[in-house]
Amino acid sequence: MACEDCNIHSPEDARQATVRRTDAIIDRIGRERRHIIPLLQALQDEFSYLPSEALERVYERTEIDRAQMISVATFYAQFRMIPYGRHTIKVCCGTACHVKGANTVYDAFKRELGIGDDTITTADREYSIEKIACLGCCALAPVVQIDNKIYGHVQPGRVDAVLEEFERDSAEQQKAAIERANRQPLGEVRFGMENCCQASGTAQIKEAVEQACRELGIDVDIKPVSCVGACNQVPLIDVAMPDGSITRYPNIRPDQVKEILLHHFRPASALRRLRNALLNQVDNFHTDQTWDNILYLSEKQRTQSINTFLDGQKRISTEGYGLMNPLDIDEYIRRGGFDALKKVLKTDRSEVINEVLASGIRGRGGGGFPSGRKWSLVAGQPDTVRYVICNGDEGDPGAFMDRILLESYPLRVIEGLVIAAYAVGAQNGILYIRAEYPQAVIRVRRALEMCRQKGLIGENVLGSGFSIGISLFEGAGAFVCGEETALIASIEGKRGFPHLRPPYPAEKGLFGHPTLINNVETLSQIPFIIRNGARAYASVGTEGSKGTKVFALAGKVRHGGLIEVPMGTTLRDIVEKIGGGVEKGEQLKAVQTGGPSGGCIPASLCDTPVDFDALNRMGAIMGSGGLVVLSESDCMVDVARYFLNFISGESCGKCTFCRVGARRMLDLLDKITAGKAEMADIDRLEELALSVKKAALCGLGKTAPNPVLSTLQHFRHEYEEHVNGICRTGSCKQMVKLTVTDDCIGCTKCARCCPADAIPFEPYKIHTIDTEKCTLCGLCIDECDFNAIKYENKRKQPAV
Amino acid sequence: MRISVNNQPFEVSGNKTLIEELRAAGIEVPSLCYAGGHEHHASCMVCMVKDVRTGQMLPSCSTMPRDGMEIETDSPEVKELRRMSIELLLSDHRADCEAPCTLVCPKGIDAAQVIWYYDNGMKAEAKALLDGRDCRDCARTPCMKACRRGTVDNSVDIKGIIDNLAADDSIPTANAVSMADTGKETFNSRIGRFTDMEKSLMRQQYTQHSHCLHCACNGRDKCRLRRLSTEAGIKATRYGVSSELPFKQETQVKGRLWFDPAKCIRCGLCVYNTTDGFTFRYRGYRMQVIIPDESRDNVTEEIVQLCPTGALYISKEK
Repeated sequence: MACEDCNIHSPEDARQATVRRTDAIIDRIGRERRHIIPLLQALQDEFSYLPSEALERVYERTEIDRAQMISVATFYAQFRMIPYGRHTIKVCCGTACHVKGANTVYDAFKRELGIGDDTITTADREYSIEKIACLGCCALAPVVQIDNKIYGHVQPGRVDAVLEEFERDSAEQQKAAIERANRQPLGEVRFGMENCCQASGTAQIKEAVEQACRELGIDVDIKPVSCVGACNQVPLIDVAMPDGSITRYPNIRPDQVKEILLHHFRPASALRRLRNALLNQVDNFHTDQTWDNILYLSEKQRTQSINTFLDGQKRISTEGYGLMNPLDIDEYIRRGGFDALKKVLKTDRSEVINEVLASGIRGRGGGGFPSGRKWSLVAGQPDTVRYVICNGDEGDPGAFMDRILLESYPLRVIEGLVIAAYAVGAQNGILYIRAEYPQAVIRVRRALEMCRQKGLIGENVLGSGFSIGISLFEGAGAFVCGEETALIASIEGKRGFPHLRPPYPAEKGLFGHPTLINNVETLSQIPFIIRNGARAYASVGTEGSKGTKVFALAGKVRHGGLIEVPMGTTLRDIVEKIGGGVEKGEQLKAVQTGGPSGGCIPASLCDTPVDFDALNRMGAIMGSGGLVVLSESDCMVDVARYFLNFISGESCGKCTFCRVGARRMLDLLDKITAGKAEMADIDRLEELALSVKKAALCGLGKTAPNPVLSTLQHFRHEYEEHVNGICRTGSCKQMVKLTVTDDCIGCTKCARCCPADAIPFEPYKIHTIDTEKCTLCGLCIDECDFNAIKYENKRKQPAV
Repeated sequence: MRISVNNQPFEVSGNKTLIEELRAAGIEVPSLCYAGGHEHHASCMVCMVKDVRTGQMLPSCSTMPRDGMEIETDSPEVKELRRMSIELLLSDHRADCEAPCTLVCPKGIDAAQVIWYYDNGMKAEAKALLDGRDCRDCARTPCMKACRRGTVDNSVDIKGIIDNLAADDSIPTANAVSMADTGKETFNSRIGRFTDMEKSLMRQQYTQHSHCLHCACNGRDKCRLRRLSTEAGIKATRYGVSSELPFKQETQVKGRLWFDPAKCIRCGLCVYNTTDGFTFRYRGYRMQVIIPDESRDNVTEEIVQLCPTGALYISKEK
């Protein structure tokens, strides 16, 4: 764009250039009303925001009018009307990030960059900052994304280092790929290259491996593979030898790479070997970084936590984890991929549906409706124009199952979708993926291309006479679009307003035609059912919930990540055995399941085997599968407030109970977490929550009170404590202050780090904190080596 | 098709919505966002009925009856939820149905309307509305104590204006109407407190004649929200009033049609029933209905009939 713009002098020229660029986009995308979201996405890609000249041009040249434009562009979070800075910092405010201090990270970036309270962009227009619902990298919380680069475990005191690293990286740009001609690989080095692996610095490790290979003359295949699921142990590499042995190295650093490679492979020439030996000697001499080199740890020590993490899991959706390259279609086929599709193409449609019915699989999107029944409903409609939609609009903060399935197993999801399309007799399929998952969008798009080339989608699939066109639709940032009727509205180019069911999408869905909507995970289980039979699938799981469930395990757990376990596994097993227990040795307090529509299950109920019905009984829901572990240092009222805050921002606004009711619940929770409430407010909150649950229009609204109701049910005493002016965990900032204990030795570390100058610089004296100036960011707590700074309740005077 | 309503068998045709069937049979169902014969999408939830079998609350305006359905329209549960939906709407509704000066006048003078006539140069009508009454023997002037302008800077000199009108014998007689309903049972919405920002805005905006803010709602005579609130016996909402709606930002849509967003309940009837006219902006609690300047011509005055509140009204100005 710069080339075209750099010679522009007059505003009129600039306007004309905008019009030209807009025209090109309109010609590429289309002019119908339903094209509005892709059109706006393309315009924003081009201009970084939606300039008014471009929008005026859209009114002139398309069916889209002003009313539709305002209505749609302001509904979806993705679109912005003001230009942003050159780089955008997105601070993830998902549940896991929230409990790990995302707000403090956001404040720290604003402080570091000197961005004022009422703006989001730096004065030099270099950076803009925004909070976003969830990046889906919950195992690495708190997470920040700068442009397309993701940073995990961001500490509020270290945001300067993150910015520095980002600037260094963008300056270096991409390096040329290494020479690969005429070679015989000695083995394979495998990486996970999903968002979370990248966030943890796998890209640097990959670079280090490439560089080391060049230097050492070691010729190995460097292969990105699907997520291992051990997202907490990244960066992680697997070294695979020709003999089939695999050695796994978790948590490695770039400087350890060379050593690992030398351990497995012989460098090309004796000379190089010698040179390396010498250089390494020097390296080791000058730095002491290799003293704890992981090579010296035994195999058991090295991978124990990962192996316990992986034990107890069962792979259906994530079959081939850590082995397969997500985008190697030949490998997928070699491993039995598309066998299920081939099988169904030779089978009668009704038999396919019967097989799915017999498997007992229930929809993984939240409600748990039997998938087979949904399929047969669609297949039984008189209208023969039918659609299938894969719902990948995973908006729940604290969930990242769909993202990893789409990034790691795009071909399996596509296969499931094609099978579904065949079974219900649909001619068109749409993969609906949220725009916050750029990696997933890229991979699925490429996977679709490959499938097209192989004749697996498109006209006359594998010569069977069955045709299916599949396209990809990027969701534009609205949690409510996970609700199927709202999702359909957004594909049709409308606001994501849900409508009343019936009619169900199965009867009247997209553009008024019968539509099957299945969640990503549901579809990814279909190939297994077809290939191995309904009985094999039904043998896993519980009476009412068959198969496995993929969970995103995050929060205060030692080893978070993506897991797949048989239905009926207990939450305690998941947290203790797979997750390795609560981090920092704290006590488990509760597990939050199902995101904003779910609830908090107290530790005392964590021995219940988890399936759809058991969770419902406990006041939570399965939801899409986010599991956020909460420890004794988490405040349950704050967690409830967090979700209500999320919901009132994501409510579509259509019906009274969700639009106003959720907000009034939030008002009451604000009052409670500020320590200004009375006991009657708790009853008022409960009454309102129960009413919203009964009377809201759609599933989002009806489940919105769940976080409140479940915490009221299991942790009512905490609400009462707040009314009495006590927040035990210090999470409710308005109720606490920071104080210094006698353990302080006056080292001044806190005084130096305090961004608000609230701690006077007084060496060798017990420090003091000026509560007027203090912003409660908690940086000093992290800095203090003597554990001498603590939150303390500003106890209210006892009520008269 | 046969369903049951309040435990009584009920015959329905099967091609009309529940609200239509129920109303046709004389069963009262309140509603705000429903307008027969016009496009509507369940929003207010005031028309809800209970599906006894599933326990679900259904908006009767958008629900088609299904064979064997069992509906409850008048149970305490249904009534309480309807009442709650109205209260929730009222908590996000910045309006004074009646101006406080009119409400408190011990002589029953519609002071707000008198001042309105006065400000619009209609002294004859103003005097006619006094109907021989004046404020000379009223020392307490509760109207001026209640005056909203008083919270901004100084109250309107209601007593002075009325007494001058009363004393001026040169004013001819004319016909005048008052919309005021000051009955004890009638619901009165309250604006709530002004923010400092709003106060300074109003100081700049209302500088003419009496300085009156004209807080009485211009569409109250047709306001269904007020009527339903009265019927439900609501005195005040249990959630207070806090709103992000732009206050006192009335705009002239076209001709005599005016729009006051502070009173809008976001039902969308005006959005769905104009083409490229009214539109929604933002989502959730922040959602508003707006009319873009460029789209004003796409709207006709008739749309006022669909608005269930005083958000759209026909101005009385000459």
